[in-house]
Amino acid sequence: MKTGRYIFPRIMLVTTLLFIYMPLLILMINSFNGSRFSTVWGGFSLKWYVKLFHDRNIRRALVNTVIVAASSVAVSTVLGTLAGVVLVRYKSVLQKIHHIFITLPLIVPDILMGISLLLFFIAAGFRLSLGTIIIGHITFSISYVAATVQARFQDFDFSVVEAAQDLGADNFRVFYKIYIPLLSPGIISGAMLALTLSLDDFVITFFTAGPGSSTLPIQIYSMIRFGTPPVINALSTIFICITFMIVLIYQRSKRSLYR
Amino acid sequence: MKRSEFLLTFPSAFWLFLFFIIPVGIVIVISFRGSDPYGGIIPLWTAEPYRSINFPVYSSVLLRTLRLSILTTVICLLTALPVSYAMARLPKKLQEICLLLLVVPFWTNFLIRIYAWKVLLHPDGLLKMLLTSLKLVSPDASLLYTEGAVLMVLVYTYLPFAILPLYSAAEKFDFALIDAAKDLGARGWQSVLKVFIPGISAGIISAFMVVFIPVLGSYIIPEIVGGAESEMLGNKIAQRVFVDRNLPRAGALSSLLMLVILFPSVISLFFRRNFKKEITV
Amino acid sequence: MKTESRRITIFALICILVSFLTVLSGCSRGEKSVLYIYNWSDYIDEALVEEFTEKTGIEVISDYFDSNESMYAKLKAGASGYDIVFPTSYMVEIMNKGSMLLELDHEKIPNIGYVDRKFLAMSPDSGMNYSVPYMISTTGIGVLGSRTGSPEKISWNIFSDPGYAGRMTMLNDVRETIGAALKYLGYSYNSIDTEELEKAGDLLISWKKNLAKFENDQYKNGLVSGEFYISQGYSGDILQVQEENEDISFIVPEEGTSISVDNMVILKDSKNTENAYSFINYLLEPEVAARNIEYVYYLAPNTEAYKLLSREILEDPAVFITDDVINSSEILLDQGENNVLYSRVWDRVKAATVD
Repeated sequence: MKTGRYIFPRIMLVTTLLFIYMPLLILMINSFNGSRFSTVWGGFSLKWYVKLFHDRNIRRALVNTVIVAASSVAVSTVLGTLAGVVLVRYKSVLQKIHHIFITLPLIVPDILMGISLLLFFIAAGFRLSLGTIIIGHITFSISYVAATVQARFQDFDFSVVEAAQDLGADNFRVFYKIYIPLLSPGIISGAMLALTLSLDDFVITFFTAGPGSSTLPIQIYSMIRFGTPPVINALSTIFICITFMIVLIYQRSKRSLYR
Repeated sequence: MKRSEFLLTFPSAFWLFLFFIIPVGIVIVISFRGSDPYGGIIPLWTAEPYRSINFPVYSSVLLRTLRLSILTTVICLLTALPVSYAMARLPKKLQEICLLLLVVPFWTNFLIRIYAWKVLLHPDGLLKMLLTSLKLVSPDASLLYTEGAVLMVLVYTYLPFAILPLYSAAEKFDFALIDAAKDLGARGWQSVLKVFIPGISAGIISAFMVVFIPVLGSYIIPEIVGGAESEMLGNKIAQRVFVDRNLPRAGALSSLLMLVILFPSVISLFFRRNFKKEITV
Repeated sequence: MKTESRRITIFALICILVSFLTVLSGCSRGEKSVLYIYNWSDYIDEALVEEFTEKTGIEVISDYFDSNESMYAKLKAGASGYDIVFPTSYMVEIMNKGSMLLELDHEKIPNIGYVDRKFLAMSPDSGMNYSVPYMISTTGIGVLGSRTGSPEKISWNIFSDPGYAGRMTMLNDVRETIGAALKYLGYSYNSIDTEELEKAGDLLISWKKNLAKFENDQYKNGLVSGEFYISQGYSGDILQVQEENEDISFIVPEEGTSISVDNMVILKDSKNTENAYSFINYLLEPEVAARNIEYVYYLAPNTEAYKLLSREILEDPAVFITDDVINSSEILLDQGENNVLYSRVWDRVKAATVD
């Protein structure tokens, strides 16, 4: 009787999950399809995976993606964490401005960020390269890390800080010994968010990429447009599996962190 | 004390000033410059890039952009409301699993997800066969390359973004209030409308923001699944940059887009001052 | 108090240092012998590139563009670092006017003598001062025989046939697409007459309601998978996908079409000019050029290479362009200031809503 009332929302929930997974499922099945055509089943085959592993361009794109993701996550996590702490810690005009700086990138669409960075790089005479992509990625990631760290403060016990200061700890030690360990779940999820955004970004990368600096999303884009689609199916399947694995590991580690 | 605050603020504030505020400023400055036919920018002040927007060709693109953004947002919100309601009322364990299931597709590249729809909507694809056998569409019709296809993929892409903030608001919502409303004689849908929705209004606003704004600027989705008549403002900006090599006009269009975004942002800030926390869930 | 702020200073400085170091490390790569090329997609036999690397030790890194305009915009935007680019002849003119191109030293390209004079005459840079012809292509129409009754002849006006509505594509290319309409109306591909251009625009708008979309690349897969029946496209692209689906054929419209000469150019700011010269010279080797033709199905204008080709290719009118087609067709020229006229018509066509 009681569950009867919630039938409609539950149907919606199940339908939504099906809706979200249906296309992905079809991609995964098709990656083992011997036929080039997604609409005909040509028998089970691993040939698209073989083709994928022999693709020079994909390997190069993968290396670029890892370089970009690693550098941008490292820098934006440091800068974002600092920003998050400072924003909560101090209340001043400076922080009001700082707050606006941090908030704006969150509400500006990718394409605007892409074009503004491109015009900036032209005006400043930067050479488009992996470096410019990394700058772009750091810029949009800082705000997300800062916001995640800030959110972590919601259940932050400031009396710990006061106690430490009463006991003679200076600001640096407070930051290092108290903020960082207590905020680490927030910092980690911020870093994960930055990683996700960096791996996923196409538009900003597209605008700021230079010679030989194609990342995986750019490579996928040109494969969708020019290339052999079945290889994309294989790539996607690998992507989806890795994703599931990382999420599982992340969930595990998060649980142990909370303990 | 002041000095340490400044030093700790400096890295992020300086970075964002240099690589965000200045670039946006440059867009606005360039939008008032002249252009030569070879992609150069002429250092003279002119409103020509803005005057070119006045041309009737833009009205259909602008209208389509607004129409698609509003439709996507409405559909996403209407779907996300019951979904987040159902999720919040599930046992804790199941909630976590559902959340995970919603988040995981995020991690696959969004281009891959768009491409998956190309396969599904293909004229010989599953969906088409289903619809044809149900006699809903003619065998010659194309599901892809229509405004409908763009809307479908937009909804698909942004639906999880709408569910997450709504869910995190619904999770904190005290469902005893609904039961109380019912005890006082309210019908099921009345209690939802009068108690649940106001209770999660903050989540609704953030969901609105995280769907509406990115859709306004979307450019890849209409390019890949859109047809001859599904250009959005983002495509026009890209065309100005990559085809016409007219940077001032691209700047003018970008400034226009910023104005369009500023409007809902200010409204939502008015409603709720720190929606940012909700964006990141 | 003092030590505290000093520590914070150091901490902040370290953070900034780390930031910039990572960015820099992202920029610098190991200095191997490299060559950056910027090419059209599917426009070179990758096996040849790998053999070049094996032979010379020069690593070739390629990026792809989908239109002359986007390539040019990207270069203009500061994507310096490419050595060889493959622009169409009208874009060579534009790039040369912008003094972006290196004047070629013919002594470093011994194989340059193999270039077919017949096609050289069609290129604006017939002295090969800045550019060496790479491939010749014609624009035409790819059709799925089973869906269209395998026509022998075809007119550009096929796009007005509502029977194929939603299953046809035209190129997303200002010059080619407007040009096709101009040609059907009996005007020149290079018309700068406002009235003619307006008429072409009106015609395109009437065609547009039957088009699935304007598309530069996806039409290939679209034809193969039977998604599209009729697509405006480049000869080699369509012949390439013919291998995967026999049903596809390439037809030059009876009104005539545009012939493009795509060239190899070395950019002025190239840092690997010697490598660039040896790559160009390598591609001009008759054997390499012949294999490249057999792979991409475009015609590399190389008189010695012709002798090495299979009869099948030699007799394919889509590869070896017939004199009839040459006589009825045109080469796209740079319009300079008048490009605006094309942009305006293109905007109008793109924005038009026809229900």
